Order: sequence, then structure tokens, then C-alpha cells
Amino acid sequence: MKHVRYYFTQSLRTMTLAATLVASIAYADEYADVSQLVRAGKLADALVKADQYLVGKPRDPQMRFLKGVIQRDSGKTTEAITTFTRLTEDFPELPEPYNNLAVLYAGQSQFDKARTALEMAIRTNPSYSTAHENLGDVYAKLASQAYSKALQLDNENQAVPPKLALIRELFTPQGGKLTKANTAPAAVAAAPAPVTKPLVAAPVPTPALAPVQPVATAPAKPAAPVVTAAPVAATPAPAPASKPVDTSAANQEVESMIKAWAVAWSSKDVKGYLGAYGKEFDPPGSQSRGAWEADRRTKITSKSKIDVKIENLAVSVNGDKAVARFRQDYRAGALAVSSRKTLELAKKGERWHIVKETVGG
Amino acid sequence: MSPLRNSLLWGAMLCFASWSGPAQARKEAAKPSQTRSVSAATAPTSVPPAGAAESRLIDIYNLIGRSHHQEALQKAERLVDDIPHFQLAQLVYGDLLAARVRPLATMGDVPTAMATSSAAALQDLRDESLKRMKALRERPPAQAIPSQFLTLSQRSKHAIAVDASRSRLYLFENTPTGLKLIADYYISIGKAGISKVAEGDQRTPLGVYYISSNLDPKSLKDFYGAGALPLNYPNVLDAKRGNTGSGIWLHGTPPKQFARAPQATDGCVVLANPDLERIIRTVEVRSTPVVIAQQLQWITPQAAQSDSKPFENVLMAWRNAKASGNLQQTLSYYTPDFNSNGKTLDQWTPRLKAEMSQIVGRSVQIKDLSLLRWNDSAETMVVTFGEVADGTRTGWTKRQYWIRQDKQWKIFFEGVI
Repeated sequence: MKHVRYYFTQSLRTMTLAATLVASIAYADEYADVSQLVRAGKLADALVKADQYLVGKPRDPQMRFLKGVIQRDSGKTTEAITTFTRLTEDFPELPEPYNNLAVLYAGQSQFDKARTALEMAIRTNPSYSTAHENLGDVYAKLASQAYSKALQLDNENQAVPPKLALIRELFTPQGGKLTKANTAPAAVAAAPAPVTKPLVAAPVPTPALAPVQPVATAPAKPAAPVVTAAPVAATPAPAPASKPVDTSAANQEVESMIKAWAVAWSSKDVKGYLGAYGKEFDPPGSQSRGAWEADRRTKITSKSKIDVKIENLAVSVNGDKAVARFRQDYRAGALAVSSRKTLELAKKGERWHIVKETVGG
Repeated sequence: MSPLRNSLLWGAMLCFASWSGPAQARKEAAKPSQTRSVSAATAPTSVPPAGAAESRLIDIYNLIGRSHHQEALQKAERLVDDIPHFQLAQLVYGDLLAARVRPLATMGDVPTAMATSSAAALQDLRDESLKRMKALRERPPAQAIPSQFLTLSQRSKHAIAVDASRSRLYLFENTPTGLKLIADYYISIGKAGISKVAEGDQRTPLGVYYISSNLDPKSLKDFYGAGALPLNYPNVLDAKRGNTGSGIWLHGTPPKQFARAPQATDGCVVLANPDLERIIRTVEVRSTPVVIAQQLQWITPQAAQSDSKPFENVLMAWRNAKASGNLQQTLSYYTPDFNSNGKTLDQWTPRLKAEMSQIVGRSVQIKDLSLLRWNDSAETMVVTFGEVADGTRTGWTKRQYWIRQDKQWKIFFEGVI
């Protein structure tokens, strides 16, 4: 829901977008509902709802974009590629569909296509930082492929595509990445700033939602504003009174848990690594848990050396749930991939477990 | 993209030190006075010219040298698209891509782990790159010929000279006005280098050879690529010295490799398939000499002519002795260890007598003379000619190997070919 509030606060890139936007306001709820379903993992329902909406507004870029994300999350890569390709045809000025096309192509190890798509994304918006970062990863991967061919190495390391950052929603940046790119070109590294700023800047005429107070009193943790915003959504808010105390303790628990996860991964401790994932963990794509575990085990044990570094870790805890965002620098042999990662965690008893792992965001 | 700007370092390191060389060479080559070497590299033909891959690679290097990275990247991309197994092209393509995200410290700046695990392969590629550039930068002097080709009869339409130190093969056309360099190609030689002496020593022999046959590529393993032109190693001098081994060929590259490292073969001389194909299309079996030298010495045709004079005088003296019917005098031109296809001098003398009796009283013409000089620890001459007595229409085509002992030229092999 929170994204809706940001609509007007974005510096808009084109007239097309502005036009779309006006039309979109009334439908903000539908976007929010679909996003909600996606976050809840109800992809099939989300797709149905998106399709219903698109019957009435077949050109709507925002919903089509969401649909592409849903298709991608459901493992329907080909359909997702079609969706994003059409978006690039209808809205060539939007960089996000190009970016996501690139993510999908990279997932299929079609790095030349990924590169072309990202170069288009940057051509449409030269300060689009996600595309720049993704393009950097793709260049590095292409270079590594060329080097492998030059040295006639087998293609072992080419089986692992770099994980590029997927944009999950059009014009609704989370974590301030897009905001940074769009509103503050020479952006300061401070992540929380863009998140809080819009809240202050623009009173949003959304009827359904009360404008959130600028809670920016003292956002010690970068993600704090986001978390405080969450209760406004349908979630029944837990008593907020005791929160600050709990949060810092819990934050530390989550942080150390994530560090342990990275250490287990780096030391190829498959048991410890897989143990970090809870029962309710939802493997990416349509994989079964067993298949996913087997895949992870092979990927990890097949490497001679793995090095995983966590940077810019930001944890936000909400009761027995937590979200951790960080930059993950992964190195295995010649492969070096730096990507943003989001882990959603849940606490069972005394232990935190990963319940969702996404790249980007 | 600031890393791109940083990649100037790469350009600065390599281009000014050595990479601007080819550009210079090309500029000079474009002058009319040096048309010879131009035709080698840039002769316009309908089919893609042999050596085209190399000139495209050098073009990319030159673009990098002038900091035209975008154009270099585009051309590199096209080159690896066309010739994906051209490893050097992949290497420079990798560099140009990597330069987009990080500064490059060196040519072939592969990730550390890869550089460590493939150190030898990487070194090979860098060597190959340097050899190619050096050979294109340091061109043979205009009109000059390798010092081995003292005299080449019109029976030989082409000649080949290999400079092992430069990993280069030079292809000549033997025109009525002399040898003309028509192309030159990057080549690979033995893993253990040059101076083959024994079977399995993985060395490429040095000496004067002839192409002895043209093997049907269909009969060859993929490993040999587009075909093979066997040489007559071991030749008579090799055999005299007790050198062993066999199967020294000019051949192509396996499907997975466009070119091989400078020192990669078991002793053969290996060319990229398009280059070998051009040679196979061009040269004739048996009459095409192949000189393999550690380093070629280039001399003027005039110098070659004056160098051949003293030897020609000795050869005429041998002919005169033979035509005069004086066996002892004729035999004095042969070494005690003379050998003719397994026959000792004693065993072979009746043959000489028979030949002399046929021509006695007539003068003998030496026709279509070729003199190939080979100097190492000894001075030797591989001599090929038609021996025709007056009044007869045909004679023998003979090949003799001469050696200079105690300032006297003597024959240590003679045979009809």
C-alpha cells in the first residue's frame, strides 16, 4: 500500500508517465491488492486479478509490469519476457521493463541480449542506477565468458548466471534506489533519506489511506520508516510501545543470524547453510524444496572456494518477522557477482529462519 | 562510466610501449615503395583474404591504442561472432568488456583466480599477441629475400620461408623477375622449440626442405584441420647427422582452435586453417622449397646472385670433369661418406661411370638450377638441376647435397628426382 503514497512524489520522467499516472490514481487499490497478493506468495491469485484489471485497461503499464513480475516469480519466463518486451515496445521511454527483460535474459544465460536490454534502459534513463549496476554485472559476466573462451576453460562457471536486480514495481521504489536515481542524481549514500523525504514533501490525496505522519523523528535504522508504515496496511499492528527496545535486540539476533548464514555458505557448510532456511521457505520458481536443496548443495559443493561478503546490512524487525536488505558480494573461482539481496525472516521459538530470499529490492 | 576512462591505463601501458607499432608499420606499408608487403596483408579479393582475422585483430588493437574503445568493442564483438574460437580475439573482447566495469592493469587482465589457474594458457596468448604484432611491425626490407634462396629456378613457382623467432611463415611467388613476397602468416612450432634431432623431441627441424605431398583433408583427423603438406624431413643432411623422427608437416588447426600458441606442436608448423588453405591452393608439391630458420636473414637479390657465383663455378667444374670422362677427377668432388639412397661411394661409382660413358665427348647443360644455401655449424648447399647432354632432348633432374670441407665444396648426396 505504501507505494501509492509515493506516486506524486516521484519526479516523473515523461509525459506518458504523467498521463498514465492520472489515470492510475483511481486504480491504486488494484495495484496495491495485486502487490499484496504477490508479497503473500499468492501468485496465481495475483495473476488473475492483474488479468481482470487488464481486460478493462489493456495498455496500463503499471499493471502489465506487475503481471510481468508475477509471471517471472511463477517461473513463467517466456511469458514474462513477452510481457516486458511488449512494454518496451509500447513504452520505449520506460527503463524498468528493459531492466527486467535483462534480468530474465541473464537468468537464461543470454548475456548478449541482457546487455542490449540494459543499454536500452540506460539510453532511456542515463541515471538509472539499477540498470547501471546490472549492466556492470552483465559486462563482467560477458568478460568472464570471453576470458573463459580465450583460455579454453570448460563452461563450468558459466552455469551460474549473475543474479541481477529485478525491479518489482513501476514507479514505486522500495528502499529508495529508484528515488535516488530519479530525484537525486548526485545521490548521497544515505539510504533512508529518499524514503522519508517524499513523505514530508507531498501530502498525498489518497482517500483510503491516511497520510502517514513524518515519523522521521529519529530513524536510527535505515529501514525504520518503511516498517512503521507497514501497520497502516491491513496487518493488525502489534503494540508499538515496546518496539524500539525489542527491535534493537532482535535486530542483533537477525544480523548475527545472517552473518552465520554467510559464513556457512562461504565455508561450504551445506548443512549450516540449508539450516538457515525455515520450513516455510518458498524456493524460487516452481522448484520443490527437495529440488532446491539438491540444487543448492551441488552449486555449493562444486565450487573450490566460495567467498560471500555482506555489506550495508539493514535489518528491520516487526514482531516475529524481519526483513534484511544488504549487498551480497559473492565470489567463487573466476566468478564474482555483487548483487542486492533481501531476506525475509521469521522467528520460530528462539531462532530466526529465512522464509523468502529475493535479489534486488 | 569512469572505469572506461581508467582503462586508458591499459592503452597507455601497451599501446605506447609496443602497440602503436603495427599502426606505424601499416602506415609505412601504405607507401608505394613498399607495395610488396601491402599486397601480403591487404590484397583485395572476393573471398576473405587469408590473414584477415589477424588484420581485424590488429585493427582492434590500434583502435584501443587510439582510445576508441567503443568502436574497438564493436569490432571485437563482430570478430568473436565470426570466429568464436579465435582465442586472442576473445581475450581482447574480454578486456574491452571488463574495461567497462573496472580499470585494466594489463593486456589479458583476466580475474585473478583464472589467471592463476590458467597461467600457462594466458602467457601463451600474450606471447602470440606479441609475436603477431612484432612480425607486422618489423617487416622484411623491401625487395629482400631470405639468404637461403640463392638461386631459384622457374620450376619452383613458389617458395616458403619460416622464421621461428617471429612465429611467421613467408610465402613467395617466384616470378620471372625474382621472388616476391605475397603473404605472411602467424605459425606455431614445436613445444620444445627448434633444432629437431630426435623422434619425439617436440622440436621443429631447421633446414631446407621441400613439400613432398598434399594430404587429402578427408583422410586426416580433425586435429590437422584444413589439410597437411608433409615436408621431406629428415632430409639428407639430417640423415647424415643421425637426426631422427618423421612426419613434419605444415598443417591446420583443430576445430576448437583458430590458432595455436607460438610453441605448441610436436614439431610441425601449424597455421590457421584459412591461411593453410591459401597455401595449399597456391603452392605446388615437390617443387616448393620450405626453409625453416631460427631467424631469417634478408638479403638483396643482387647479394644472392653474387653469393651464388663461386658455388656455380664449382658446380661447372664438377660438370666439366664429368663430361671429360676423368673418373678420378670427378670422384674428387665426392665425400668419402657419400651416400646415394643407401649406396656408399664405392657402390655408387658404377652408376657414375655409366652416366659418364653416356655423355662422354659431349658437353653437358645444367638447366633450371636451384641453389638453396643452408649454413649452420657447416656450410651446405641443396642443389637441384636438369642435367642434359648436348644432342639429347631430355636428361635427369638431379638433386645434390654439397658440403664445404676444408674450403672445398664436395657432394655428399646425389640422386635423381
